Amino acid sequence: MRRILGFFRAIGRSPKLSLGLALLIIVVVVGFLNGWLIGLIRTHIGADPTAVSPNHWVHPNGKYLLGTDQYGRDVAAMTLDGLATSLKIGIIAGGLSTAIAIVVAFVAAYRGGLLDSFLSAITDFFLVIPTLPLLIAYSAFAKHVSLLQVGVILAVFSWPGAARTIRTQVLSLRQRSYVDLAKVTKLNTFEVIFAELAPNMLGFLALGLAYAAVASMFALIGLEVIGLGPSGVIDLGFILNLATSGGALTLGAWGIFVAPIAIASVVFFALTLINVGLEEKYNPRLRKVAGG
Amino acid sequence: MTEVSTETAGAQTESATVLVARQGVRGWFAAHPLLTHIIKRFALYILTLWAAISGTFLFFRLIPGNPIDAYTQNLAQNYVYNQKANHQIIAHYNQVFGLNGNLFTQYTHYLYQLVVNHDLGPSLINYPTPAWTLISNALPWTLGLLLVATIVAWVLGLLLGAATGWWRRNPVSGGLTYVGTAITHIPYYFVALLGVFYLGYTHSILPTSLAYDPGVVMGWNWHFMTSVVKHALLPACSIIFVSIFGHMLGMRFQMIMTLGEDYLNFAEAKGLRPNVIMRKYAMRNSFLPQVTALAISLGAVFNGNVLVENLFKYPGVGHLLVQAVGNLDYNVIMGVTDLGIFGVLTGAFLLDLIVPVIDPRIRRAR
Repeated sequence: MRRILGFFRAIGRSPKLSLGLALLIIVVVVGFLNGWLIGLIRTHIGADPTAVSPNHWVHPNGKYLLGTDQYGRDVAAMTLDGLATSLKIGIIAGGLSTAIAIVVAFVAAYRGGLLDSFLSAITDFFLVIPTLPLLIAYSAFAKHVSLLQVGVILAVFSWPGAARTIRTQVLSLRQRSYVDLAKVTKLNTFEVIFAELAPNMLGFLALGLAYAAVASMFALIGLEVIGLGPSGVIDLGFILNLATSGGALTLGAWGIFVAPIAIASVVFFALTLINVGLEEKYNPRLRKVAGG
Repeated sequence: MTEVSTETAGAQTESATVLVARQGVRGWFAAHPLLTHIIKRFALYILTLWAAISGTFLFFRLIPGNPIDAYTQNLAQNYVYNQKANHQIIAHYNQVFGLNGNLFTQYTHYLYQLVVNHDLGPSLINYPTPAWTLISNALPWTLGLLLVATIVAWVLGLLLGAATGWWRRNPVSGGLTYVGTAITHIPYYFVALLGVFYLGYTHSILPTSLAYDPGVVMGWNWHFMTSVVKHALLPACSIIFVSIFGHMLGMRFQMIMTLGEDYLNFAEAKGLRPNVIMRKYAMRNSFLPQVTALAISLGAVFNGNVLVENLFKYPGVGHLLVQAVGNLDYNVIMGVTDLGIFGVLTGAFLLDLIVPVIDPRIRRAR
């Protein structure tokens, strides 16, 4: 518990961590309040914002804050929906992939020996396989893919990066004397891993989660941009696809593609800040490095 | 990647110390540490290549919905009036696409075809054009665009990183670092899309699609070349704009780490000119991780850039992949994936061979 409190205190001390977390929390809260916010837009417009209407390609104005698309749907409401989907895939795929990475890395590094070599070989194998072509092919062949399926596939192919970093960290941590002490007091492997090792790596694990979440969010965006991906869901990439295929570029309807790009960029920026902040916290040598 | 280098260095010192006269293969290994390293690394390279290609093969065969089944069923319906022709045709297609027998037979057939004949099988939509012909037509465009963009971004990023690291207390350097941190994780596609809108559609300065003007005749002439360069400018610049900052941050980090070393204080105490210290001491020692980064990006070039190529309808491998997927063109999709795997693995393999050549520290450890 003390370690966890210390972790939060460390966040307060680092401006990068605080800014990154603040941005992330704002985006996530907006994403999860999307139903309520869309309700606000509904009363503002006076009609269902995501229903087809005759007002095609309205430029951003007081009524339609980000304009409308080729079917007359309100872009602001669609972007909110898209953000919620993108966050969902981030949580599903990011969480699952981090979970796999943690189990593989801890078992490999803590047990060592033949098991370690075996698990490391598997990690390297998955590291090599390019995810996007496989995902593209899968979504094209299997006609109806759900968001969960895409999340699982992303997780299956994206855990190795995190597993590698976590493994290296565990290898250095398990030599510490408090781990020996825990072993002497006859804690079993799982107790040592989860009570002694994991709390000391909370930041690293958070970092892995953040990276995996970003990677899977962008993978889904990429999939949707080229017109594939789970059926019946609107995500930020789907809106970009609407923009490029529907002629928003020629018509100058900037709202429809600037909004998703801006929101996704804020998420990436927030996670990068958190990443840099955490790295500085765990590697004090870096503090003088990260300028300003 | 320093991990790799210390590992190899460790293995080599070990093999050098056990240089006691040993018989047979082991003795030969001990006597030729460099060759042993290369052979072992090559074996690992072949093994991973095999495993990755087999993995993708399995993945594709286990996906629900075999496109060639659908194709042959379609054929069967068309030839329903002639049962004999129908069976013959299906048998023919199954044979050509390597779908005879169980999964294992299909697998050995695919591997044999790939390794011995360097053949990926025919393309489904452009039958009977081999899939490899389609890929090799797309490859020069992808390589031309991405190789140039990658190398330009690497060189500029390296110089920028060295400068911001050297003058690390300068506010401009601090500002650039923040900008770099903000931009480095933004997908190329976003920049490309905004660029297309602003420079392509709103101001009509640069062309927005294809690799050259449709009216221009392909050939080694001035007209064609300028058209190609003009069309490549926007996609290349959007890639360079983002990836420059990744290399900059990496180099800057390494520079500042190096600047803290004792030998830099010593160089300063000797009274060397700052210019010399920067180039010969700081930059040279910060260089190695950047070579690793370059090798990894160069390996990834073979994957093509699906999103950017697709936005510009650039006729490269990434665009081909999307088209092939749209038409469920099995062999082309597998070919592009295998090519990507080959690129990444070959890049890593060559890197491990080159690192001892450019880093004397690793050579001497032997």
